[in-house]
Formats: sequence, structure tokens, C-alpha cells
Amino acid sequence: MSGVRGAGLDPYRADVQGPLAARREYLYGLNPISKIFGPAPAMVLVLVSTTMFTPLCFVILCALLMLTGLRWQRSSLLTLALALPAFILVFGISFSLWADQRHTAHTPVVFEIGSFALTSGALDIGFTTALRLAALFGLALTGGLSSTGPDLVRSSIQHLKLPYRIGYTALAAYRFVPRFGYELESIRQAHRVRGMSPGRGPIASTRRSMGYVVPLLTGAIRHAGRVSLAMDARAFGAHDTRTERHLVPMRRRDWFFMIGFWIFTAAVLAIAIWRG
Amino acid sequence: MSLELLPGEVLLILGPSGSGKSTLALALNGLIPHAVPATLTGSVRVGERETVGASVATLSETVAMVFQDPDTQMITGSVLDEVCFGPENLGLPVAEVLERAETALREVDLWERRTENPDRLSGGGRQRLAIACALAMRSPVLVLDEPTANLDPAGIEEVYRVLARVVSRGDRSVVLIEHNLDPAMHLVDRVLVLDALGRTAFLGDAHEILRTHTAELLALGVWLPVSLMAALRLREAGIVLDPLPLTPDELTAGLRAHALPALNSEPRQTAGIWDSPILRVSNLTLRRGRREVLRDINLSLDAGSFLAVIGTNGAGKTTLVQAIAGVIPPPRGTVSLAGLDPARLDVRTLTSRVGFVFQNPENQFVTYTVADELAHGLRLRGIDAEIVDARVDDLLGRFALTEAREQHPFLLSGGQKRRLSVGTALVAGAPILALDEPTFGQDRARANELLGLLHELNAGGTTIIVVSHDLQLVADYATHVAVMRDGELVGMGPRDEILADEELLLTAGLRMPPLIRAMRGLKEHPTWRSITRLDELPGHPDDLVSTPNGGAE
Repeated sequence: MSGVRGAGLDPYRADVQGPLAARREYLYGLNPISKIFGPAPAMVLVLVSTTMFTPLCFVILCALLMLTGLRWQRSSLLTLALALPAFILVFGISFSLWADQRHTAHTPVVFEIGSFALTSGALDIGFTTALRLAALFGLALTGGLSSTGPDLVRSSIQHLKLPYRIGYTALAAYRFVPRFGYELESIRQAHRVRGMSPGRGPIASTRRSMGYVVPLLTGAIRHAGRVSLAMDARAFGAHDTRTERHLVPMRRRDWFFMIGFWIFTAAVLAIAIWRG
Repeated sequence: MSLELLPGEVLLILGPSGSGKSTLALALNGLIPHAVPATLTGSVRVGERETVGASVATLSETVAMVFQDPDTQMITGSVLDEVCFGPENLGLPVAEVLERAETALREVDLWERRTENPDRLSGGGRQRLAIACALAMRSPVLVLDEPTANLDPAGIEEVYRVLARVVSRGDRSVVLIEHNLDPAMHLVDRVLVLDALGRTAFLGDAHEILRTHTAELLALGVWLPVSLMAALRLREAGIVLDPLPLTPDELTAGLRAHALPALNSEPRQTAGIWDSPILRVSNLTLRRGRREVLRDINLSLDAGSFLAVIGTNGAGKTTLVQAIAGVIPPPRGTVSLAGLDPARLDVRTLTSRVGFVFQNPENQFVTYTVADELAHGLRLRGIDAEIVDARVDDLLGRFALTEAREQHPFLLSGGQKRRLSVGTALVAGAPILALDEPTFGQDRARANELLGLLHELNAGGTTIIVVSHDLQLVADYATHVAVMRDGELVGMGPRDEILADEELLLTAGLRMPPLIRAMRGLKEHPTWRSITRLDELPGHPDDLVSTPNGGAE
């Protein structure tokens, strides 16, 4: 494994991601907590906003943050340049079609197909909704794409007083996920070979899934028991505290990012109120 | 029972399955009675501490454990983090954590790979990592509970190479529970033998006890080194080796010192019974995503054969057998089961042609009682209830499950589950039975019981295909062997031919089983060199030709 692109993308290898990232890719170097608590008020604001202005501000902010702070390849830049406008366009038009006609009937008609008229009010509602969705995604992904589970757990233990016994157990459970995927695939194959509920459609597929629960749970419980024995055998939980090799400090830049985000959010709110 | 572990010694614990070897191991570091509820009478004293009074975590500073399955011992995301996990729990300063981790990783040759995800290591690599984790605890006692049971031969070799290094330091006591004794014997100082009730049968010098109490040990149902078993068989035939060999090297040396008679070369077993291919695979290539997991595979198998597909973890053995059995649909026209293409068959027809037994038998249980489980495949076909009942009764009897007929399949013992899964695979009358790693994670007694059952089925005409990396089991039962490496079939042929090809096995990451290795060393006795199984050794004076062989052809 070389220290170039892709290496840092292994979900488990979170701790090396920060140091591996170039200085310019500053989002990776920030504390996950600041990347959650910074955008959190903005997410609430976007959720309750009714105008296009508020979500638009955050879409632009997040696009800027991600463009400057994340590691990009040419292909992913292209995706962003095309996918983001396409997303807003497609969802905007779709939501416009779904908009409640009673509220928009009085607004001017933009165009008509047969008896169906698309009004400017409907377009307004549709694009606002699409922008709100895009803003929410952006706010979540700004932190999400640049931080990892293990770092979040470590940071929560260090700064939010999360008990380490809970945090590290959660981290160990993280490793179960690919294993369960593999187990489920194997159970699915086995049941198919036994001729369980063949056929298509939601009913057959629900019946099939019900049959997977017991073997999957049995395997999971047995595996969890063994893992916990192995953890106990290595003194997990022996002492009240545990040495932390990977410190995830709250540095000045983390406070700067978080408080900066709050100030921006407050400013957007103020302007939105002022605009009426 | 009473037992004292001396500083710096290696203690081997032997006993029939169910005699409480693992229980003893768990009691040593206090997981019994702390994490696993149990009643403990008497006392376990570790260093100065009683286990009952001390917590598991504090005891783990004195006793470190390595378990059977490396997968259940991995907690973090990188090799280095994994080794640091224990010392971090002890609350040591960061510098010392790192220093311990580096020493432990260098000891098991994993320091260079410290940034990798443990999932990327081979089975042997992960078990070495588990050993490093235990070493990093710097505890004076190291307990290993069947550390090689889930490993392929190359992995077993790696683990024992590392263990030999640890033992040579002499600063730790090691408690080893192991069935695969041949590679372990040269490390072991003392042995504790438990009887079926968990009482101490023998305790003392390992080599002396194994040599002098051989008959009693066999009667207890304890597994002995294959080399020792071979010597016992030879003694029946009048070839007395003294001292009795415990490792392949000792067996070779002992036999070379003898003037061995030439053996009657038996007529070779003919391949298959009817000499008509029941299975033909042609140009099979299988992709998973962009990766080719199987590449251009061609093979054909006669009805009545017993084929073992061998290779290291990830070589594509399981995928090949799953494609043959239609569990993964193969590309059309690449597999032919007596003329039928599994890619075009529906499940009912497919299961009447080939039965497949998954590695974990629980995964294929779909009903709530053993009898229903067997009847399921027949009821799907709309067969009359009377015929179903008769057939189920017959199968219950054949697979020794009559007592358990109303039990829930999940509540059966491991061996019963395995037999039931074989029964369900055969209920529709499939002439081919394919099994994925049927001996994985089982002790040798159960593994042999199952292989015995397969042998019987095979003698009755069922074509058997097993995926395995236990080469001695392969040598004992298979008629044909297919060797896989990186998705390619690198060798396929009659068993003796393949197992004699050391270079082929080595390049596929496999190793010769102990008996074959010992016999190959007999350069002076060509008729002995090709022996692969215990029952090929002369076991009676009549088996021998009277004139001693001087080494000439």
C-alpha cells in the first residue's frame, strides 16, 4: 500500500488520512466533531427555510469548501460540475410537477402542455425543495467525505466524554459489517439452492428475507461472543482510562471552522429575515 | 485436577474432544468464571493471584491468549493498531506502547506490513498477528488454543516458525492445545493428557509419555503424531523403530537406519467406477466485478471419483466448486453435469443432479425440525407423503439422526449438523455431492467421522467433490486431486501423482503432509517412497517380502 491516492480511502485506515492529505486539502485535518457541530445549525436552518436564498447560500458554501478542501481527481471534478446542476435541475422540475396546484394557481403560467400548465409558483416551490435537498447533502458530505468512523469515535471519547468501553465496542462492531455482508450472501445462496420461496415480486422476496434472519443472527451472536472474549483477553475494560495513541485535538483551526460556520449561518439567517 | 506451570516451559494439552481442553485454557486467564458463567471449585492461581478474585483484564496481564479463529481476534483497522490495542488497554505511555508493538511485530515478521488492514493478510499472517498481539501484552504465560486449526499448510508452517522463535527465547511459558501434532512436537517439553471426563490421565515429559503410554493414549481417543502412528503400524509388521518417532524427520531417520524389505507394489486404483465423465468443465472463466476469479478451467471427472480441490485461501477453490454445483451460475456451456448445463437448470432439477454442502451448515437449514429439513427437498417436488416419510426415515437412520428427528436443526451438535446438511443435499438423489471445506474449524475426530461418511457414500457410487486444505485428509480419502492457484487450475490428476509432485504443491503454497514428507526422505527404498497413507504401510508380517531391499530398483 503506497501513500498515494486511494490508500487513504480505506475506511478503516482513517488515522493516516489526515497526515497523508496535502496541506491544501484542509478538510481532512479538521476534527470530525467540528465538522458535525459546525454545519448542524445550518442544517436546521435549511430544513425550516422556505425561500431559495437560504439553501442556495449553503450549496455555494459547501461547493466552495469541498472544491478547496477535499482531494479531487479530474473525473470527480467533472462529476461535480455536471452532477450538481443536473441534480438540481431534475429534482427541481420533478418537485414542480408535484407542487400543490391550489397554492400556485394564481401565479403566471410559464408553459403549457395540453391542459397541463406549469406555473412559476410551482417552479419556485420545486426548485426551493431541490436546493434544500442539495444543501443538506452538501452540509453532511463536507464533513462526511473528509472524516472517518474511527476518528469520530476517538474524538468523541476525547472531547465529548463518551465512555471508551462504548466507543471502542462500536469501532469493533464496525468490522462486523463486511463480514455480515459475506454471511448474508452465503445464506442467500444456500437458501436458493434449497429451493426456498422462488419467484419474483415483493411477497416472495419478503418471505425469503425472513428466512435469513435466524441464521444471520445466530452467526452474529456467536461471532460477537468470540470477539468479546478476545477483547477481554487483551485487557479491554481493565482500567478506567486507556492510552490514546491517535490524539484528535480540537485546535484553533477547528474552533475557527466551527464558529466561522455558525457566524455564516447567523448571517444567512439575518439576511433571509431582512429580505422577508 | 492439579497442574503447575513452570516458567519458560512449553506444556502441551491433549485429550479427546469434549474433555475440557479449551475450558482449562479459558480458566487459566480467568475468562472462566468471569466472562463465561461456570462453577469453579478449587483454585486457579496465576503468579500471586487467584483468578476468582482478580478480574479478567488484570489477569490478562499475566496470561495472554491466542484463539482458534484469527477473524474473531481482529478489532482495529491496521496491523499496528491491532498490536497496540492490548498495551493501550493497560494504560501504558505511548512510547512504550509503540516500543512493545514494534518488538512484537518484528518477532512475527509483520513489521513491514504494519500499515495494512489485517483483512489483507493471509490466514497464517492473521494468526501471526494474533500471536504478536499476545506477545505485546508481555505476559509471562502464553496460551494458544488450537492456533492452526483453521489454517492452510503454509499458514501452519508460518505459525510454527514464529512459535519456535518465541519459545527459543525461554522467557515465557507456553500452553499449547493442538491436534496437529507433527509440527509441534519439537517445541514441546511436557504434556498434560486429559481423559474424557476432564481428569488428569498423564502429566510429565511429553516425548516420554507419548512413547511409553501410546496404547493408553490411543484408547483415550487422543490424537497422536502421524509419524508415531506410522511407527506403531510398522511394529505390527515386525519393523521396530526405537526410539519411537514423533516427527517426520525422526521417522525418516529411524526407517533409514533399518534394512527395509521391498514392498509389494499394489495395483494402482483405477480412476472412477464406470469410467465415463459425469462432470466436464470446459474453458470456464468467471469474473467478479472486473477481477477474473476463475481463469480458463478445463477438467473432467469420472463417475464414482472422490475429487479434492486444494489450494491456499483465496485461490478460487470454493468458487470453482460453487460454479460446478450451480450455486454461482457458471457461463452457459462451460459446465456439463452428465450432459446437463447447471446454468440452464431450475433449482429442483439442479438439486437432483448435484448436492452442495456449505461451509457453515446452519446457513442452509430452512425448517424447524430435523425430519422436516430432510423432507423439505422432497415436498418441494410434490412427492407423496408416504414416500417422503419412508425416505426420511431411511436417511435419519443412515446419518444416525433418528434420535434427533424432532429437534430444531440449530440445536444439534456440530457433527450432527454436518451430517444433516449432507443428508439434505442427497435427499433428492443427486449422484454428485460437493462440499465446501467440510472439516473447517472441526477437531480431527469429527473431521474423520465426516470423511468416513463421505467415503461410504463414495463406495456406494456417489461422486464426491470436496474443497479442503488438509492434505492428510486428502491423502487418506481422495482418488483425484485438483490444485488451484490464483484462479487457475495448475494441476489435476490421480491423488498419488499430485501428492508426489512436491514442486507443484510448493508453488501452490501448499506443503506435503507429514507422512508423505517422511516417506519421500527414504531415498534408498524406492518402493516405500510413494507411500501416502497409513494403510499403505505394512501392518502385518505377511505384507512384507522376505528379501531385504538394498536400495536397488
